[in-house]
Amino acid sequence: MPKDNPMEGLLNSYEISLVVKAAISVIMALSLNMITGFCGQISLGHAAFQGVGAYTAVILTLQGIHFALATAGGMVAAGILGFIVGLTSLRVRHDFLAITTMGVVFLFSGIVEQTKALGDTDGLSNYPHPELGPFNYMIMTVSLAIFVLLVSIYVQRSWMGLAFKSIADDEDTARVVGVDVAGFKLAAFVMGTMIAGMGGSIYAHQTTIIQASDFGFIESITILSMVVCGGVGSIPGVILAAIVLTLLPLWSQAIGDYKLLFYGGLLFIMMRFSPQGVSGLAHQALILIRDRGKGRS
Amino acid sequence: MIEIALLVQGLLDGSLYALISVGLTLVYGLLRVLHVAHAGFFTLGGYLCVVVTNTTGSFPLAILVAIIATGLLGMIIYRAVYHPILHHPPFVALIASIGLFIAMEESFRIIFGEQGVTYLAPPLQMTLQLGEHFLPITKIIAFFASIVLIGGLGLLAARTRTGIAWRATVTEPEMAASFGINIIHVRYLNFFIGSALAAVAGIIFSLTTNLVEPTSGDVWSYKALAIIVLGGLGSMKGTLIACFALGIIEAYGTTNFLGQIMNRDAIAFAFLIIVLMIRPQGMFAKR
Amino acid sequence: MTAILRISGVTVCFGGVTAVDDVSFDVAAGELLGLIGPNGAGKTTIMRSITGIVKPDRGKIELNGERLNGYPTHRRVRLGLAISQQLVRPFREMTLLDNVSFATGYKKTEGPMRAFFSVARKSNRERARDLLELVGITAQRELMASQVPLGVVKRMEVARALALDPKVLLLDEPLAGLNSKEAGKLADTVVTLNERSLTVVLIEHNLSEVMRVCSRLVVLDNGRKIGDGSPKIVMDDPLVRTAYLGAMENQNATA
Repeated sequence: MPKDNPMEGLLNSYEISLVVKAAISVIMALSLNMITGFCGQISLGHAAFQGVGAYTAVILTLQGIHFALATAGGMVAAGILGFIVGLTSLRVRHDFLAITTMGVVFLFSGIVEQTKALGDTDGLSNYPHPELGPFNYMIMTVSLAIFVLLVSIYVQRSWMGLAFKSIADDEDTARVVGVDVAGFKLAAFVMGTMIAGMGGSIYAHQTTIIQASDFGFIESITILSMVVCGGVGSIPGVILAAIVLTLLPLWSQAIGDYKLLFYGGLLFIMMRFSPQGVSGLAHQALILIRDRGKGRS
Repeated sequence: MIEIALLVQGLLDGSLYALISVGLTLVYGLLRVLHVAHAGFFTLGGYLCVVVTNTTGSFPLAILVAIIATGLLGMIIYRAVYHPILHHPPFVALIASIGLFIAMEESFRIIFGEQGVTYLAPPLQMTLQLGEHFLPITKIIAFFASIVLIGGLGLLAARTRTGIAWRATVTEPEMAASFGINIIHVRYLNFFIGSALAAVAGIIFSLTTNLVEPTSGDVWSYKALAIIVLGGLGSMKGTLIACFALGIIEAYGTTNFLGQIMNRDAIAFAFLIIVLMIRPQGMFAKR
Repeated sequence: MTAILRISGVTVCFGGVTAVDDVSFDVAAGELLGLIGPNGAGKTTIMRSITGIVKPDRGKIELNGERLNGYPTHRRVRLGLAISQQLVRPFREMTLLDNVSFATGYKKTEGPMRAFFSVARKSNRERARDLLELVGITAQRELMASQVPLGVVKRMEVARALALDPKVLLLDEPLAGLNSKEAGKLADTVVTLNERSLTVVLIEHNLSEVMRVCSRLVVLDNGRKIGDGSPKIVMDDPLVRTAYLGAMENQNATA
């Protein structure tokens, strides 16, 4: 039974679930940001890695394995798939990579939904949850999100981040200054997908049933929207977009009913008017303010 | 006998893929953009045909309306969505297209309802008997329609002035422009033809399944994209071969052991990924 | 002569065109070799084959006796080759300083693990500043690479190549886009570096500078080697003169 926590009275169970959802979105968005934002590798199937993490972790907890270990297992499984997809990225060009990563989603759901052991189309349910209670689960999720944030910031500041940036900027030139482009791309995919796998396990254990359709193309595009609207590569932008895009449909009934129309419209309006996302807009605004301040216009 | 039936099945499905993929290849060849929203026109064609047939009782009229309206919408989409963002890096157009596709599907759900639409009196429901197997007439029509339409398109491209202008625009846009060819007109034409062909595919689909839902275009969208990548982006010949190859692979794949562990779509994408690993430029790359 | 770089029988075909036809030459350690010839002679292609950007159809490339064929570009760079290309490729989203600073960190970008655990950038930025000063573009160091004139980018690329501490420096038309004063200065800088035992292979159209600084010339024409020796001897060779004059005559005729 959950221990009594003096902070528990602060949030009701609905609010707790909102925070958890938002934190999971942040984790997923930051993980994709590592692949697409930092390293410039487009990935349209990111939810599949979340799905692999979720299913693996659930299968492990069903065997009686502890949640933490199961999550680790989910991360490893997702990372292995990420490695394989990363290998594909080495061979194929930009447009092809977009389609191949799209295919991963269908491969995932296509296999899962045909396999009895993985729950077919019914999915998996009746699996054990960690004995934390909702409030502590929320604390754990938020802590993990903060951890992922710190890792992202660190990577961006490190020479790994610089190498990623050089690859995103101009792969061929990166080679000419000695960068093992293949090795770094694989690193980006493995890191990003492992974190996505962790996100999958966390997602699975705060709900009662998981199905392949929870990790489909639309879900992948939703995560991509967060990265794109936030501003590809911009950590604060991505976090903001993740939180807003997760909570907005839940807060506003109008948007919630027409969630997909909203997402779709948002994506193509963003691309039309500010392809650099919100961080690009902020950047423009800052430049404008600074120039006005200097007396220019 | 089963082999022949599967082969025929594969060819028939392939011809439907062909009707959709041609439009996609046209757009890619011209703009270097993956026009994900293309399948939305497929679904729209189906919807319009069903709705107009149901309200007016005239199937031929419905076909006309569906094809022309969809073609026109294709042109509008080019102008409103792609034209203003072509100067950005390609992922911008890709994402805009994805957003558009999602918005289109939602719009279908809002306008036509969640459950989808069906024919009150479905036309052309006959089947042809081939040995022990029954082939729906619609699929046979699909096959011949695609040969006629695509073959016709190919002839136009090779023989007429417009066709030559189009081919010039695809291969050497700047030179074409300096020869006085109006690039923008060529693009509009491209989108019209491509979207109209997708509508034809949508119409045939609506006849075959007698149900058009908001998400009907999903699988076709992804498969068509996989097809043009398989064929070697921009190569019309490659695309067509890939269409039939995929149709046949799916027909065989679902009936043997693969079908036990993967569904049809997974087989399609597994095939795609394997081909790309072996030949990263696609089967018939242009360069 | 100790050949630090050896090109043997290299042939490169693009489609139906033979860009480089059975070319062989050695580069001695510490040499300043000029690779010259009319436009389209295959000079850039040879350089790109050395760095692995282009794969030859036949032939061998050896650095310090080690066979480079099949090695990816980044591996060749880490063995001691550095190139500054004719068609400039800066990192467009970085400043000139960052472009060079990143290159100075080549030890840190050896692999993902190494890179993950390296964070410090200060010494790299300092070294980059020195290199930019060496090529004379310190003033523009904080400008984005996409916003400076060609001559500045070209010099940044030379600095960036030097940042890699190469054993052999390959320069493809580094003086293009520079006025005569800037060109002279850069050429002098290259000479000074060469005097400090950096082997240099230089492609240049600016023949006066080439004659001034190179200790040896290799001449290509239509993919074939037609001259190899000291500048004076090579330029007196009637075959070489015809190749150049022929090219110039063609230019005058079509002008």
